Amino acid sequence: MSDAKTERGTGEALVEIRNVHFARGNRTILDNLSLTVARGKVTAIMGGSGCGKTTLLNLIGGRLRPESGQVLVDGVSVPVLRTRDLFELRKRMGMLFQNGALLTDLDVFENVAFPIREHKRLPEPILRNVVLMKLETVGLRGACNLMPAELSGGMARRVALARTIALEPMMVMYDEPFTGLDPISKGVIAKLIRELNTSLGITSILVSHDVADTCAISDYAYLLGNGRVIGEGTPREMQESSVAEVRQFMGGLPDGPVPYRYPAPDYLDDLLQGVRT
Amino acid sequence: MNSLRRLGRIVIDSVEGLGRASLFFLEVMSGSRKLFRRFELVVQQVFAVGVLTLLIILVSGLFVGMVLGLQGYNTLVKFGAADSLGLLVALSLVRELGPVVTALLFAGRAGSALTAEIGLMKATEQLAGMEMMAVNPIERVIAPRLIAGIIAMPLLAALFSAVGVLGGQLIGVGLLGVDSGVFWSQMQSGVSFHEDVLNGVIKSVVFGVVVTWIAVFQGYESVPTSEGVSRATNRTVVYSSLAVLALDFVMTALMFK
Repeated sequence: MSDAKTERGTGEALVEIRNVHFARGNRTILDNLSLTVARGKVTAIMGGSGCGKTTLLNLIGGRLRPESGQVLVDGVSVPVLRTRDLFELRKRMGMLFQNGALLTDLDVFENVAFPIREHKRLPEPILRNVVLMKLETVGLRGACNLMPAELSGGMARRVALARTIALEPMMVMYDEPFTGLDPISKGVIAKLIRELNTSLGITSILVSHDVADTCAISDYAYLLGNGRVIGEGTPREMQESSVAEVRQFMGGLPDGPVPYRYPAPDYLDDLLQGVRT
Repeated sequence: MNSLRRLGRIVIDSVEGLGRASLFFLEVMSGSRKLFRRFELVVQQVFAVGVLTLLIILVSGLFVGMVLGLQGYNTLVKFGAADSLGLLVALSLVRELGPVVTALLFAGRAGSALTAEIGLMKATEQLAGMEMMAVNPIERVIAPRLIAGIIAMPLLAALFSAVGVLGGQLIGVGLLGVDSGVFWSQMQSGVSFHEDVLNGVIKSVVFGVVVTWIAVFQGYESVPTSEGVSRATNRTVVYSSLAVLALDFVMTALMFK
């Protein structure tokens, strides 16, 4: 850990990604990517499906290692950490998975209690109060006896959020928190992300392709495309950007730099070939 | 030339898979050291893989014992040796059928359930979620299940043999008229604790390790999709059954010379 700590980042940034390259087989996912996540802010990372957003979160969480480049979290270089140090770092970072990833054999209370039971030795009455306080934060104290299968998608994500903040992390990574939710649940999750960021003073990294909800609650946004940053700025700057790729994504335009049509041979030739044969 | 290349690929893949499985086994065993302090995790899994498998084991044991009683009597009576029925039933169960049939049933009931459970935990990101909560899934999920399988298998095999002997007695003594005293005394004098019972226990412990190891490895390595989990479950039952039968032959050859 001492070697890793020599790689001190700037005090303002909690997460720094420097010239990161990551590939799966021959397919490049992240190509010389650099970005920073400011301490105490909500930073959005947007981009189309398969552009490497979730991969980026996995690199920050140390579940994947980059082929080259640096990933610094709170000044610590994540890829070089030993397992024990990585686990210590992970106690200070939470991650909300797309579907909540609740443990299906435990009820809501035990799911939120899970990380506390694993890492802290609290007397049962205190543990109970801590769990109820976390559940109250997300408005689900009354659901503490339900099983995950009895929860709606939005409720499951709120329980997962309560579990994510159970160990009071310095940062939380949200992986597509709005996907598959109804408008009310989306609004609830967006409100919670913003409120938790302010009230607990945590840093939030919000990965999403949901432009409107994401821009409404984020302080700064990055847009990824082809494994690199193609646009960045405050949500307002992004909305007003003149860069064609950014305009296409923010406006949800079907055609543009990202083509509507998949590359194909000439249409007429293709049809005539069928007639000839 | 192509078929030679394909054969080479299959061999390399198999050796590589075996290597991965061995490293996984070492990792799990190293992770299981921490379970001494949290033995309740193992107890929960002994309930899941052991107690819930009990019914199928007891019913199967009873029927296997009854069939042994019938078939054994029909053969022995031709040689005027019907009195040895108790011995035949007990030796068949303790040495072979107890450990082997229990292991096959265990693979079908508990092994497949373990693979599907772990595979689905992987597919629904529960294992990834644990990793991000700084909890090692190998220690928290896999190790208790492996240890529970190793504990449960000999106990289940012992119960299978015990119920099987009762089934044999039910048919032999109750239906076919073998003398009860002869049935039990032949068994008592002919079954050796060291030669027969202990070797049967060793077999069932080995089967417990192999079947549970295959089940948890296949679940952990499964492709996290519905098709991937289904294939992994399928592989667990096939591989464990073949491994049990092959190992049984090897161990029988070594133990009963």
